[in-house]
Amino acid sequence: MSQLKEISPGKKFWVEFVKGIVVTNPVFVLVLGLCPALAVTSSIDNALGMGAGVIFVLLCSNIIISLIRKITPDMVRIPVFIVVIATFVTILSLVFEAYIPPLYESLGIYLALIVVNCIILGRAEAFAQKNPVLYSIADAFGIGIGFTVSLLLVSLFREILGTGSLSIFGFTLFSIPVLSETPMAFFIMPPGAFLVLGLLLALFRWLGVLKNE
Amino acid sequence: MENNKNSKSAGRKILESKIYPLVFLVIIVLISVSLIMVIGNITQAKIAQQRDAEILKQLNIIFPEMTDFKYLDKYYEIYAGNDIAGFAFTLKGKGYGGDINMLAGIDSNYNVKAISILSNTETPGLGTKIAESSFTDQFKGLGQQDVGLTIDGGKIDAITGATISSKAVADALRGQMEEIIELIKNSN
Repeated sequence: MSQLKEISPGKKFWVEFVKGIVVTNPVFVLVLGLCPALAVTSSIDNALGMGAGVIFVLLCSNIIISLIRKITPDMVRIPVFIVVIATFVTILSLVFEAYIPPLYESLGIYLALIVVNCIILGRAEAFAQKNPVLYSIADAFGIGIGFTVSLLLVSLFREILGTGSLSIFGFTLFSIPVLSETPMAFFIMPPGAFLVLGLLLALFRWLGVLKNE
Repeated sequence: MENNKNSKSAGRKILESKIYPLVFLVIIVLISVSLIMVIGNITQAKIAQQRDAEILKQLNIIFPEMTDFKYLDKYYEIYAGNDIAGFAFTLKGKGYGGDINMLAGIDSNYNVKAISILSNTETPGLGTKIAESSFTDQFKGLGQQDVGLTIDGGKIDAITGATISSKAVADALRGQMEEIIELIKNSN
């Protein structure tokens, strides 16, 4: 920590940002937020939608919680965090329902469940309530993008193996000739999510890209 | 200096007072609720508009021959040219995970033409199968007395692992059909 204090704020902003993507990647290193990571990764579209939702909520809640950190009584901090997070999730779900109903339909209950996503509460408790707004913004973007990248990675494997093709927002990028006729639908189903996530975790550990904290 | 110290201690007094956590939480909740109400008001019209567009789309799928429709208090009268092609109505079933919103169409002989699930919050992968055609197609052509699960003496096979969701759809449809058919007969 003393080392970090010596470097310039701009550099620290960058450090906090990059940290969330690899070193403390929420899904593969902290192993947090697995419920959405398993549930909504059946397609790239869902993963992007969920990722964008989490980035928005995390950013807003980190900013607010960091702003009120000096006047928040310790005794009620968790309820305060939950109320702040729930407010932004409700706003997000209203906006999704009004302007992008197909995404709202396919995310279903998991959109509302962002409230209890431990990543967001975790960042509020571990970071935003102790750090200035600027670094909290960097932290939110880093962790949020790290989460989105993880979701995309899992859904990439699941969509390609499970449907034999890859499409983004209804636009088909490619389709594998034999696989698309007899796709391994198993990967779209919930057990496939566990398998893909587990194998990716093992692969990253084996390659040494990620280490236990 | 004296002043500064005083104001600082006044600020600290507030922060350390026993009811401060309570007051703080109440203020946060009030701000949050008013913010959601504002956003809710802004998006409300848009959400209703999206639902209407969805209903129109679904009506066209159930009644491809539809040229016009009229909303009569509780149901839609569907016209194909000058003839009445059938009737449609929205209904709500109590599912396993919340409300299941449906749109049902019946022909002029009061048999089910088709149903479609507009929205549901059932268990993904199990209960959500009620929206698939393998389930909804079973309803086609059934009279009101046949709408029900086979275990209840009807002609609908429940989805394996999602009996509650299946039953919710069938029971809600039977009940609502009875009411709507009564209404239609009375209005003639």
